[in-house]
Amino acid sequence: MQNIRMLQQQVNSLINQARHDIYSISATSDPTAKQVKLQRIWDALTSIQFLNDLLAAHAASSISAANDRQPLNTMPVGQPISPTSANPAVAVPNQTFTIQDLANYDGKNGRPAYVAVGGVVYDVTNNRAWAAATHFGLVSGRDYTQEFASCHAGQQSILATLPVVGRLV
Amino acid sequence: MENYILPPEPLTNEAIAARLTTGARNGLANGSVKKKNLVYLELNGCSGNIISLLNGANPDFEYMIGSMVNLVYSNSLMAAEGEKAIERLMNALDEDYILAVEGAVALRDKGLYNIIGTWKGKPLTGLEAAKMLGEKASHILAVGACATHGGVSAARPNPSQSVGLQDVLPDKNMIKLPGCPVHPDWFLGTLAHILLYGDPDTDNLGRPLMFYSTLIHDRCPRRPFFDRGIFAEKLGDKTCLFKLGCRGPVTRTDCPTRQWNGHVNWPIGDDTPCIGCAQFGFPDAMAPFISYDTTRVVKDE
Ligand code: SF4
Repeated sequence: MQNIRMLQQQVNSLINQARHDIYSISATSDPTAKQVKLQRIWDALTSIQFLNDLLAAHAASSISAANDRQPLNTMPVGQPISPTSANPAVAVPNQTFTIQDLANYDGKNGRPAYVAVGGVVYDVTNNRAWAAATHFGLVSGRDYTQEFASCHAGQQSILATLPVVGRLV
Repeated sequence: MENYILPPEPLTNEAIAARLTTGARNGLANGSVKKKNLVYLELNGCSGNIISLLNGANPDFEYMIGSMVNLVYSNSLMAAEGEKAIERLMNALDEDYILAVEGAVALRDKGLYNIIGTWKGKPLTGLEAAKMLGEKASHILAVGACATHGGVSAARPNPSQSVGLQDVLPDKNMIKLPGCPVHPDWFLGTLAHILLYGDPDTDNLGRPLMFYSTLIHDRCPRRPFFDRGIFAEKLGDKTCLFKLGCRGPVTRTDCPTRQWNGHVNWPIGDDTPCIGCAQFGFPDAMAPFISYDTTRVVKDE
């Protein structure tokens, strides 16, 4: 489990680095600096792809370990790991939350911090913009569809980097 | 600023500092850099920024009033008082001046919640002064959290209906120096840039890029702890202060490298989380400043 957390954090920091590079590229007119940053983004993407495959392998092996009949390391049929496969739509885990359930995930006393946007519940426990499970006056454990729309219009990419934990019903 | 200096010219800190200071000295000597008038208004706030300014080093306040500007008005620091002081403020309008404003503008009851003096027997409100002086200034610096966005003065429930300076001067260009207080270098550096080269480059919120372009979190010496998920549980712990509520990940300043009080230390260096004092919306948007109950389990919560 610890391993998966670490892989996830590595992916997230690569993504952050790439974002930062994109901002710097848009701000600079120095061609050499641009070249360096572009190369770094390319490298970051390669690493992200690798880590993603690694995570998928982890997930698959833990499923098969749970089933205990299949040998370890067998991929589920029909989902081969392929570096060229298109991005699948975000798989939403089956867990469902009512708004009352969600309120328990307030990031206090060692509990995780979850928030919902557009019916999807995200984990912000270790998200850097959510120190102490709070974000610009918002506390976790609530639905922030409206707040997200008004503060981060056109920034769906933010959601894409958050771990999904389930659906709000 | 198109002329880059490249090797073989020396690029050590000393060489760069020497180039900058000789440039400035020559500019002063041949008259291309002129001392300008500075009007420093204190509106609805705590005067913390001017106190912070007095703590400046290299350059210090003495150098500022000796070689950079003529400080024609400063409520806290000038010798004149009463109507005599306000008279100097009014006379400043006849000449070119840079306007620095700290404190928010109180709007309630036509500004009567913040009176900065009397003129011809009538109270002069901060609101009137900000509009009058802002209209004619050659450059405007909004100094500190209150002037840039309302800050502490505009915190809920905001009884004086305080707003940032831009709200009462919507069409004016102004450089915004958020921070509670502003680091003396941020103010003096911006002022020096205006005198030597004109307005500094700013981001889309009007903050000079030379001081406000980098997230604290991206230069924080505790970042390796964050990346490995090792978090402090109480003040004084030497690891990442994220779970206590550190706002370094949402605040852009150069505190980790510049540091405070003569460049000796800074909040995280002293084991207390960043409270995001230089982020827009401070303090309400940055609260709570400290939380102890996120990783630690409290039995009777
Ligand atoms: S102490 Fe604050 S700024 Fe430093 S790494 Fe941790 S969260 Fe980031």
